[in-house]
Amino acid sequence: MSTPAPVPIQGEEPTIPLFAERPEWADVVPLEQYEGVNPLAPIMYTPVYKDATNYFRGIVKIGEKSQRVLELTEAIIRLNPAHYSAWQYRYETLLAIDAPLDVELKLMDEIAVKYLKTYQVWHHRRLLLTITRKPAQELDFITRSLTADTKNYHTWSYRQWLLAYFNDEDELWTGELDFVDAMLAQDVRNNSAWHHRFFVVWGCGVREGEEDRERVYKRELTYVKQNISLAPNNLSAWNYLRGIMEHTKTPYSTVKAFVRPYTLPIDPTSVDIVDLENPPPTKGANLPCPSAIEFLADIYEQEKNTLEAIELWTSLASQHDVIRKKYWEHRIRDALEAART
Amino acid sequence: MCANPTQLLIPLHVSYIQKLGDSKDDLAYHLSAHLRLNAIYWGYTALAIMNHPDALDREQMIDFVMSCWDQEAGAFGAHPDHDAHLLSTLSAIQILTAQDAVDKVDVDCVVKFILSLHQPSGVFAGDQFGEIDTRFLYCAVSALSLLGRLHELDKDGKREKTVEYILRCRNYDGGFGSCVGAESHAAQVFVCVAALAILDRMDCVDVDTLAFWLCERQLPNGGLNGRPEKLEDVCYSFWVLSSLSILGKVHWIDVDKLVAFILSAQDTENGGIADRPGDMVDVFHTLFGVAGLSILGYPGLVDLDPIYCMPAKLIEAKGLRKSWEALPRREA
Repeated sequence: MSTPAPVPIQGEEPTIPLFAERPEWADVVPLEQYEGVNPLAPIMYTPVYKDATNYFRGIVKIGEKSQRVLELTEAIIRLNPAHYSAWQYRYETLLAIDAPLDVELKLMDEIAVKYLKTYQVWHHRRLLLTITRKPAQELDFITRSLTADTKNYHTWSYRQWLLAYFNDEDELWTGELDFVDAMLAQDVRNNSAWHHRFFVVWGCGVREGEEDRERVYKRELTYVKQNISLAPNNLSAWNYLRGIMEHTKTPYSTVKAFVRPYTLPIDPTSVDIVDLENPPPTKGANLPCPSAIEFLADIYEQEKNTLEAIELWTSLASQHDVIRKKYWEHRIRDALEAART
Repeated sequence: MCANPTQLLIPLHVSYIQKLGDSKDDLAYHLSAHLRLNAIYWGYTALAIMNHPDALDREQMIDFVMSCWDQEAGAFGAHPDHDAHLLSTLSAIQILTAQDAVDKVDVDCVVKFILSLHQPSGVFAGDQFGEIDTRFLYCAVSALSLLGRLHELDKDGKREKTVEYILRCRNYDGGFGSCVGAESHAAQVFVCVAALAILDRMDCVDVDTLAFWLCERQLPNGGLNGRPEKLEDVCYSFWVLSSLSILGKVHWIDVDKLVAFILSAQDTENGGIADRPGDMVDVFHTLFGVAGLSILGYPGLVDLDPIYCMPAKLIEAKGLRKSWEALPRREA
């Protein structure tokens, strides 16, 4: 793996000369923004932005697609990355003049990290990739972007799009579990990373070496149990546990022995027993854990052990998850109803 | 700003929205041109829910909407001279519907534009640039419905494809994402569930699992987040509550705590509501704070239709009311 180039961070509006002052733009007639009635919104643009967008409208009007259009649209995008018409025109221009797309991607590496939360940045990249069809270096880029914002929704869904779009390229997928591991090692509560794990293991077909689904399930079960043991109050991990059990139609009762210690107050007298099947809560964990109580209650409910389930729901409603009291009361009512009929 | 206001400061918020756009030197201003039409919808709807539907000039509003018409595409851009997009087209239709001025629009043209963005997978693109997202799917379905043209989806199995796409966005945790394979997110849950409601396919939803996932968004401080382990934000008061309302489970969350959280995010000097206490206010969070309070039965507010995010009476009058349940309006 090559060392990623450092990403320059720019904090200020770039100081570029006005297009109106550049001789090479003298042939273009700038078009002023339409300023009609505008109740919530009279527009006062900064001179730099106004100048650039005036020339952009001028260019669109004459339909010019050339190298200097790339310069112009880059200037606009840097001033306002959400200007979707500039993005669109830029893309059309790139194709029209057969511009080298690897150069464009390199530029986008910088712009994307700067404007992670802008939809257009990511869509533009998708369009480029469907043409270049060189997804391999993208994964490095995404990993770098995620260090800037580890839960960025656009970045993660771009990664999922990339993997799914190039689903047949097995080598693209080989590092995904290690990648998730690294992300979760950084922050075990990163829901995006847990979601991605599910996507990779269960959501997108079966890859070579993963055909034995029972073995895969056992591996995932061990993985999520270990992670719960290190940080029990982690909604994302409990959701993953439920997710893989539902997906493989495994009865919840099969993890009863694992779940139970998490539903009890911490036992200071307990001794460390190495039980790989059922790793116990880490020392100092905040117990009991509401997600575990909910899980155990679901097990009791499935076992038709209504009274024990109700006892747990009552403890959630009155003590461990009071904010969702109404929900737990609903569970109790429902169970009583079901028991009566 | 005084700490913890205990009431919704309606007159202040009304004047905040009326004054929007006066801040001409605001740097953020030109950067939000791509949301201008949406901003007017947010502002107008917030006013309507606060029972001040006439606080903005009707004619000016309609004129502005019409000035955003993109003749070439046959739909609305976010701003005059901007290219048409589904996000701004829905806002335009919502404003014109509320102002009873849809007759100003070439509806056939808009319907054609919307249908042209339907993809073979069942999702909609936002514009001809081709970005896809369940948000755009919702915009398309909601706009068609408001225009009385939802039946256009019946041709060529578009309706079934649309429903199928939404269901493919459902994740193992019960939530929905922005596209197939993407993480569950409360705002994407709203667009998916509301679209299913408009399409009369709520039978596809596992109500209890999804509603509990939505309840889990409530944090100890009362606020709601959009995904596990993320910060609370006032806008989720709408995304989560509207979804819970469509599922009939608003009462599962701690209402008093959420009301207190939304109220605490108000700017008590200049009006407006922020994403969370102490942050800068904006019109987006002002609408979604007020909308959340309406669903929670806050006194003095007008009922909001959670599916269309418009005044409930208006939607009822158009015969578009679907099944949903807000908390009963409380006395002041």
